[in-house]
Amino acid sequence: MTTAVIRFPGTNNEYDVISVLKAIPDGDPYLVKSRDGAKALKDADSIVIPGGFSYGDYLRAGAVASVGDIMDGIRELASGGKPVLGICNGFQILTEAGLLPGVLLANESAHFICRWVYLKVSSGTTTFTKGLEDAVLRIPIAHAEGNYYCSAEELDVLKSNGRVVFRYCDSEGEASIGANPNGSIENIAGIVNEKGNVLGMMPHPERASRSILGSTDGLMILENFVRASKER
Amino acid sequence: MKLLHEGKAKRVYIDDSSPDNVVIEFIDNVTAGDGAKHDVLEGKGKLACDLTAFFLKSLQKKGIETHLVKVLDDTRMRCKKVEILPVEVVCRNIAAGSFCRRYGIEKGTVLAEPLVEFFLKDDSLHDPLITSDAAVNLGLVTHSEIQFLRALTLSVNHYLSELFKQVNLVLVDFKLEFGKTTEGVILLADEISGDTIRVWDEKGESFDKDLYRDDEGDIRVAYSHLIELQQQMDIDAVPVREEVIHVIVQPKDGIKNPPGEVTRKALSRLGFTNLRDVRVGKVFEIHLSKPITSAVLDQLTLMNMKLLSNPVAEKHHVRLDL
Repeated sequence: MTTAVIRFPGTNNEYDVISVLKAIPDGDPYLVKSRDGAKALKDADSIVIPGGFSYGDYLRAGAVASVGDIMDGIRELASGGKPVLGICNGFQILTEAGLLPGVLLANESAHFICRWVYLKVSSGTTTFTKGLEDAVLRIPIAHAEGNYYCSAEELDVLKSNGRVVFRYCDSEGEASIGANPNGSIENIAGIVNEKGNVLGMMPHPERASRSILGSTDGLMILENFVRASKER
Repeated sequence: MKLLHEGKAKRVYIDDSSPDNVVIEFIDNVTAGDGAKHDVLEGKGKLACDLTAFFLKSLQKKGIETHLVKVLDDTRMRCKKVEILPVEVVCRNIAAGSFCRRYGIEKGTVLAEPLVEFFLKDDSLHDPLITSDAAVNLGLVTHSEIQFLRALTLSVNHYLSELFKQVNLVLVDFKLEFGKTTEGVILLADEISGDTIRVWDEKGESFDKDLYRDDEGDIRVAYSHLIELQQQMDIDAVPVREEVIHVIVQPKDGIKNPPGEVTRKALSRLGFTNLRDVRVGKVFEIHLSKPITSAVLDQLTLMNMKLLSNPVAEKHHVRLDL
């Protein structure tokens, strides 16, 4: 199995992701430049859209990338049930492309925020969080537009189907207002699509995958991602 | 053919070949002063038909949508069936006619820039001037339609003025009528002939219906002269007029707008304290290399939906008059 790690102009986390995936058995990542188009994805079993500032965040974060030619290939793989993980700018791209609902607005503070946060994992099991149900993870965020918003109806759908995978919380796992770094609706930090194979998350699991970095909590998410890729 | 409508200088018939079309016949009537003056001039219908066909075809070549489908014979043309909008549009480059009487301006005064005016089509009221606000307020046209009429009229002015410039004539002013198809597409309709335009040569001699209004000559001679000059008019040589459209994207009501809030706080630190709310959006200035048509506006809506705005959090609208 192989994981396509997508690089748009302005993506800057692709080597971090590749480096962590390489350390996971069967991770087998390869870099795909967005300009190579959908055909470059024909051997991919799974996809990671890493963080960064695709197209300089012009227009809206992720908007220009979301209409790139390569998105047709990503959409096809996603509809075929293959795992797709969007991290940070990758999450923004997935919402702009309509592969995930909602939108990531400017942080409530209007500041770029770069710091460690705690995440409460949902109780229900998802492809990406097997073995992590109800866990409290410590993973960093780094974004200016991470303020998740969706309509009240959409929020109901997400919650009633167990699709809110990560919430910002305090060290005790309480998703309190004080633990919300960016103003996201109901502290949402990550969601999955209806099928459960597309995950978007603002925190960076690849930056919490080695003990020397201060946490390995993100590694478990990426290991689950690799396992899911293998199962397909 | 069944007569649908008879106007002062034209008859409109049902087109038996298609329910989407009508046949328009140009008749030999000429009237002025709301029909106070009226004559039949043999051959005048053919001349008006010929001029209209030439100008409408020239405008079509530049991408302006008109009702003309096909010229059938000397006096008749097949046109798209439209409902004529109750507002007619006048564009003026030089002061003449009712404009001079209304404002006491000397005839021949060159206006600072082309002026677009709207008139209510109502013979019983003598087609009075109507403001765009009143036209919208009275439900005659929508706000976006009146912007559209203005933009399209300025395009027509550019192309016609340039055509006349090629033969050393000056387009003083003209009147346009627009119609709406059953699909809601707005087309340039009616006629463009000496009856609806004012054209002067370098000495200020008229080649239009003013000759008849003022009893200064036979309009058929003037119209024939314009038809002769058509040979020297080349629409392909007229440069395309760049049109500018503004797309405004704003955060939806009720959606938090942190950049706006930060701006408001900064303004209040500067002493601007009565600001209840500031919301930051975007303006896209889009330059088009073709006239604004209904199809172009549809495309803009698609552009907005697909990329320029995020419908989850933003609203958008198109402005043609910023």
